[in-house]
Amino acid sequence: MNVLIVEDERSLSHEMEIYLTRQNFNCDVAFNGKIASEKIADNSYDFVLLDLGLPDTDGLELLKAAKKSGKESAFIILTARGEVEDKIAGLDMGADDYIAKPFSLAELQSRMQAILRRKHGLKSNTVSIHDFSIDIQNRTVQCKGNNVVLTKKEFDLLHYLALHKNRVLTRMQLTEHIWGDVLEDDYESNYIDVHVKNLRKKLSAHGSIDWLETVRGVGYRVNA
Amino acid sequence: MPEMTRKLSFIPLTIQVKFALYNAVSKALIFLAFFTLLPVLVERIVYEHIDKRLLARSERVLLTVRKGSIADIVREQDCSFESYNILKEEFVAIYPLTDIRRLDEGPIIRNEHWEIEGEKLQHRIIKRPFVYDNQLYELNIGEGTGSIDELKQTIQRFMLVLMLSVIMISLFIDLGFVRLLLRPLNRIIRRKLQPVPSPTSFDFSPVNSSTTEFNQLDKRINEMMHKLRDTFEMEKQFITNVSHELQTPISVIQNRIENILVEGNVSEDVMIRLSDSQRTLNRMSRIIRALLLISKIENEQYAKPDKVNLLELLDEVIEETEVQREERKIKLEKFFYADESFSPCNRALLFTMLMNLVNNAIKYNKPEGYIRITTQKSGTGFTIEITDSGIGMDPQEIGGIFDRFKRLNTSTAEGYGLGLPIVKTIAQFHAIEIDVESAPGKGTSFKLHFPSTDQN
Repeated sequence: MNVLIVEDERSLSHEMEIYLTRQNFNCDVAFNGKIASEKIADNSYDFVLLDLGLPDTDGLELLKAAKKSGKESAFIILTARGEVEDKIAGLDMGADDYIAKPFSLAELQSRMQAILRRKHGLKSNTVSIHDFSIDIQNRTVQCKGNNVVLTKKEFDLLHYLALHKNRVLTRMQLTEHIWGDVLEDDYESNYIDVHVKNLRKKLSAHGSIDWLETVRGVGYRVNA
Repeated sequence: MPEMTRKLSFIPLTIQVKFALYNAVSKALIFLAFFTLLPVLVERIVYEHIDKRLLARSERVLLTVRKGSIADIVREQDCSFESYNILKEEFVAIYPLTDIRRLDEGPIIRNEHWEIEGEKLQHRIIKRPFVYDNQLYELNIGEGTGSIDELKQTIQRFMLVLMLSVIMISLFIDLGFVRLLLRPLNRIIRRKLQPVPSPTSFDFSPVNSSTTEFNQLDKRINEMMHKLRDTFEMEKQFITNVSHELQTPISVIQNRIENILVEGNVSEDVMIRLSDSQRTLNRMSRIIRALLLISKIENEQYAKPDKVNLLELLDEVIEETEVQREERKIKLEKFFYADESFSPCNRALLFTMLMNLVNNAIKYNKPEGYIRITTQKSGTGFTIEITDSGIGMDPQEIGGIFDRFKRLNTSTAEGYGLGLPIVKTIAQFHAIEIDVESAPGKGTSFKLHFPSTDQN
């Protein structure tokens, strides 16, 4: 998978590069619009991660031009402006997703996976963890032939943990994934713990859940 | 008297109405004065005329007498003479006089009741003494005044009609003129003093007028709005800049921590500290987002494109907060009495507002308490009341709950003190009024009054 990171803040693009390389993506970086246009024209990327606030070009213009030239790449807009209009305009121009800064890299990765699934059907739609299998397409969980009934949030949580299996996800990362869009005055809530507690209760009724580990003081991890 | 003026000042009237009132009252007064004086005036004028005529006639009669042509008549008729016309409206009479002093008094003109053939009629009479043939006579020439009363009435009627029409016409002309005069002012009020969503949508085109004061007023309002608009634009720019300049570095650190955590080659202790730092950073980012949200709403950067069923929205919020309620074993009581669609609005903002209020009701509740959500129609609008059985507040605390970064003195609840300011800003943006009632130990109630959909 080839990814072009278009971001003028070098430390940010660097961190993204480290993370994505670790996830077996081939990363390329452009620090301004001009270089980005050239690279998009010369190469074939699966993903273009596009910052809207570039020093020389408006990211949206770049997106428009790329789409016009018939590039197949999936575009994800990254912006700190947080303008609703930008989001709408970006998605209208053919961007595949939109993430507001600051975002979690785990979140970025899960959005990229979702796009891959949607666009190419590359990934299998079922993720198996021990006795449990998660059907991402139909949003169902099965254990030894039995359906495990979960709420929307519980499913999202399990799916997110499974997607990043063998890695600790912090409470903050999980909170941002579940309530990222809700802005309310409760940043240090332990509601994630409550959700995980409920999830555990429901899953353990069907099979062993030793694989869902609590990492003390940090968060949770799915070991598979 | 001061009380009187205070009371009067409570009834605001438009300039035009005030002018009309003033006009009507002043003209009515003039009319009244004129109408009471009119009979006296008419009488004066008429008498003056009659008197002149009587004097002239007496002159002519005397001339005739002196020529001797009347002497025979006088003598024949007992030294006196009386002659009157058929209608007894005019008469001439000559009587002999004995009192010589009357001669010095000269002619007298007065009103008298004169009996002519048994009929007593009011006359204006000139009495003029004269000497003829060494004999003192008095010439009486009378003119009936019955016609004067008629004349008076006629003139009065005529004047009444005339005056009324003049007053009406002048009233209309005055009103028309005032209207014309105040037209620029009304234009200023209509175009410049109506509430606008933002200074950018203000109409800066000048209201041209031939009145200096209105031109000045218009100019100053425009200048003020120009300044406001500039500040507004600057704030908008500032919001965008702050957003970018602060969120980008947070992003960098956020991602760096994430990478270190993923690499996993750090001790457990460092992991915990890093995850704590991540939370701190997230808190900072959320505070910035909350502040930006408030500023952006105040800066009118949100559209209101949605029409929302408030009960469905409430149900969504209730569902969203289910886990929180379960965790603290808080009972939810729903009393939905009416169904209401609200527009125009911003759905995401309304959701945030209700979410914050319901969350607040959970956070500041007692374990195993309750939350009661009541909705009903009220007048033309709609009311949502969210009541909790929580710790409550004393009146002093209520006053400050909508201030930014103000947190209640409680160790159980967490937050950064921007939840209620967000609620207030979103409410104001949608013209929703909020009433807060609270009693320490008993709980708090937030009442949201939604305006009727067509009013908003």
